[in-house]
Amino acid sequence: MKALMSLGALIGVAGLLLLGGMIFDVIPSNTVRLVEGYMPMQMLFEFACFVAGFAGLSYMMSAMGMALPRFWQGIGFWAFVLLYLKFRVYPPIPFSVRAMYGTVSLVAVFMWVSASEEDWKKFKQPIMNVLDAQTGMNRLLRYAYLVILPILIGGFSYNVMMPKSEEPIELRTVHPAPPASTKVHGKTYTLQTSQNPYRVNQEGKYDQEYTNANIVEQGMGRLMKPNANPWDDKNQGYLKYVREGGEIFFQNCHFCHGDNLNGRGLHAFAFNPIPANFTDPGTIAQLQETFIFWRVSKGGIGLPNEGFPWASVMPPWEQHLTVDEIWKVILFEYWHTGYYPRTWD
Amino acid sequence: MGLLTGKRVFSIMALCMMVGLLLLPIVIALPSPAIGEEAPAGDAAKKDGDKVEKGRDVYYKTEGIVVGAPAPKTTDGPKDYPRYNFESRVLIWFANQQHLYYGSFVLAVPIFCMIIEFMGVVTKDKALAKRYDQLAYDFIKISLTAYSLTAILGGILIFTFLTLYPAFFGYLSSIFRPVMHIYALMFVAESGTLYIYYYGWDKMKEGFLKWIHLSMSVVLNVIGTLLMFLANSWIGFMMSPAGVDEQGRYLGNIWHVIHTALWNPLNLHRILGNMAFGGGVVAAYAAYKFLSAKTEEDRAHYDWMGYIAMALGVAFLIPLPFAGYWLMREVYAYRQQMGITLMGGLLAWLFIIQATMIGILFLSTNYYLWQAMGRMRGAEKYQRYIKYLVFLLICGFLVFITPHTMVMSPAELKAMGGQQHPVLGNFGVMSAKNGGINVIITTTVLSFIWYMRGNKVSTVSWAKFGNIFMGVFFACAYINIIWLAIYGYYIPANVRVGLSVPQVATTLSCLFFMFALNTVMMKGAKQMGPIEWGKISVRSQYALIMLATAFTWMMALMGYIRSSVRLFWHVNEIMRDNSPWAYTHTVGFAANMISFNVLFFWISILFVFWMGSLAAKKAPVEAKAGIPGSVPQPAASH
Repeated sequence: MKALMSLGALIGVAGLLLLGGMIFDVIPSNTVRLVEGYMPMQMLFEFACFVAGFAGLSYMMSAMGMALPRFWQGIGFWAFVLLYLKFRVYPPIPFSVRAMYGTVSLVAVFMWVSASEEDWKKFKQPIMNVLDAQTGMNRLLRYAYLVILPILIGGFSYNVMMPKSEEPIELRTVHPAPPASTKVHGKTYTLQTSQNPYRVNQEGKYDQEYTNANIVEQGMGRLMKPNANPWDDKNQGYLKYVREGGEIFFQNCHFCHGDNLNGRGLHAFAFNPIPANFTDPGTIAQLQETFIFWRVSKGGIGLPNEGFPWASVMPPWEQHLTVDEIWKVILFEYWHTGYYPRTWD
Repeated sequence: MGLLTGKRVFSIMALCMMVGLLLLPIVIALPSPAIGEEAPAGDAAKKDGDKVEKGRDVYYKTEGIVVGAPAPKTTDGPKDYPRYNFESRVLIWFANQQHLYYGSFVLAVPIFCMIIEFMGVVTKDKALAKRYDQLAYDFIKISLTAYSLTAILGGILIFTFLTLYPAFFGYLSSIFRPVMHIYALMFVAESGTLYIYYYGWDKMKEGFLKWIHLSMSVVLNVIGTLLMFLANSWIGFMMSPAGVDEQGRYLGNIWHVIHTALWNPLNLHRILGNMAFGGGVVAAYAAYKFLSAKTEEDRAHYDWMGYIAMALGVAFLIPLPFAGYWLMREVYAYRQQMGITLMGGLLAWLFIIQATMIGILFLSTNYYLWQAMGRMRGAEKYQRYIKYLVFLLICGFLVFITPHTMVMSPAELKAMGGQQHPVLGNFGVMSAKNGGINVIITTTVLSFIWYMRGNKVSTVSWAKFGNIFMGVFFACAYINIIWLAIYGYYIPANVRVGLSVPQVATTLSCLFFMFALNTVMMKGAKQMGPIEWGKISVRSQYALIMLATAFTWMMALMGYIRSSVRLFWHVNEIMRDNSPWAYTHTVGFAANMISFNVLFFWISILFVFWMGSLAAKKAPVEAKAGIPGSVPQPAASH
């Protein structure tokens, strides 16, 4: 047990030193890289390591007779969470989400320190000591709080109320709700039931399973499947259409959406927000193909009223592409990202 | 013996007669839908010879003879949208919400009474049986006052509809005409049963008559549930209309109108939701009484009452998220745009708030259970592991509340390099969230099991093996849930939705198998000491109040979300809302309105409780029999 706790303590110290180094820019922030694609699990794992580390550290300090009071353990852990979220995760997490995570962590700390009566007493003790002010130090602290707290509250209020020249906060919805149907080149498509006509098997029949099986799984670092290379000129059916879609994509779309379809094209950073990242699991992977068909056809102009401003500069591609070309480019987008469109089968 | 049998036969006959009389109006009313289906066709045929206009059902795609008038095309003006000098939508929102709160309460509490009365009847401990019976009686007493308020609020709601939205209400009434009187008659049946059930309590407290009394509560609850199903058909029709053609003309099949795409998911969701809500309200009542109790005896009683109400509420809370998933899945399947508006679009942020509320419910429950271990000797062995449960719960919670649509300044958006974040993007979608909520629920199950064995040590010979098996089972459950959440990113979205099934199965396996195993293991277990009812921290009682507040807040929020998803439609894609309020409120306004409704409900229910306490003061002293603190608690009370 002691060995395990010592190991935990070691991890805790190393982790804290690393984080401290990153905060003060002594250690490069990419020393332990956060790998795109694995980042969410990596973060949770790191977090678990830190918790184990803190448990070990607390145990060791207690064994050495230098136990950290429960009050400071709680405050310290909460401060760690806030600093971790601010300095460890890159790209930076918006303040609104950090605030949510921070509040939940505070609740967690409260639940931890007050789970049993004994722990709660230990946690409250320093607060009660200051309120009681039996010693000179505590009396001094009490007076200090009496002065500092109103100043802090006042400062906070001033900061909130002070007019700022920053751009206002936006609540921009990621997926606008599509209409029930859309009219493209004179034909009406019901978005709930329409299908991509190029999702066909080698016999030319609509076959979702066949096309799914040919998707090149390269999202999250997966490798291209053998015998599924759309750039092969001999291909027929689905893979041929993927290639044609790819050609259309590289002639029209990649300037903004990027070679890797990750929204970081040549012109992408001229826009705010930058174009959609199709490799993110929250975009085309969540949607039906007909949704993409509607979005590509109508562009930013065709977005519904209820969520304005959408701030999308995508042109209505129906003015430049045929219906067939739009379907093919969608086919390519799913193939390239390794995602499957949502269906209701 | 003969006399007893005769009494039983007489009792059964009396019950059957009573039920028959109560249901008579409904039976009489039943032929009318059939007439509604056939007669107009016959009339039409007579009038126009062979010229019968047919329409196509918008949902079932079946052909039917047009019976009703098309949905009115309203215009903003005093004819279709008369108004006071106030936003009509806010008034109807308020009336609807309050009616729903009380409706839910009076539907849930009789189900509680049924369960508690049943527990009292089957328990062998006479003192405990008496306490259960008294508890059930206390509940129904509260319910009686609330029932009157529900009816009053129902009246206010109808008047509000008639006054502010006459065109819409007229149309809806014309569609539901064949069942509207059944709905009204159900109220009569419900009231009659409730009064007989309440006033017959003392007369039917012994022997076989008690069973008759208990079966009356079943009748009462069946009627209540049917009543709710009918009310649900209205909102189901507004969201996913069926039984009408594209112009909104009724096609003569009332079953199509009732049984819309979302009716069944709504029914299930509401039953579970009402029960959890009812439990929360009663638990908060008990918590309030506990905090204001002057004697140890009262504290013990209300501690026990709070625990029972919480346990019942949470029993229905656990399956609630799964019912919610089913409802959302059906919404998506019905209309993609509705699903996206709800969960990825305009209303997505309200779902984040909802997830936060669900998390609060589970956190409060766990916290209460951990606190409740404080009144058991021997539970210390589990208390030191609570921090690990906190870690699991919080990780699940953090993932569960991660927004997909983030609030951020343009500068933050730029720093992030687009709307998508490599961490939040993954946490913000369903695959991870499914994992998050299942981790939360599994941890709650684990807390419950720890609580159940808090003051006990298993004496079965295979106790060690049993404990290891349970530990491994839970570890495997966590691994399976988390693994499936990650695996969800590697498969198509429609299959991913299906992954929630094995996740739920894992969670439910923990619930059922581990509960069963624990019960077997704890049979004849060595007790470290009795449960010291009343000796629980005050923090636990605030957790109960938090639980109840979160329930009421969440109900109002979900009602608003469900209603708002129709956007500018009274009846989705059939009847447009042309009033000046056919827009979606800001999140802030909605939150304020919800908070107001919650506050109003809690103030008014305090009045109901006060009325209950007035009656209690006149109750015979006998009602106080059986002091919880002095009675050893059998395992059944866990």
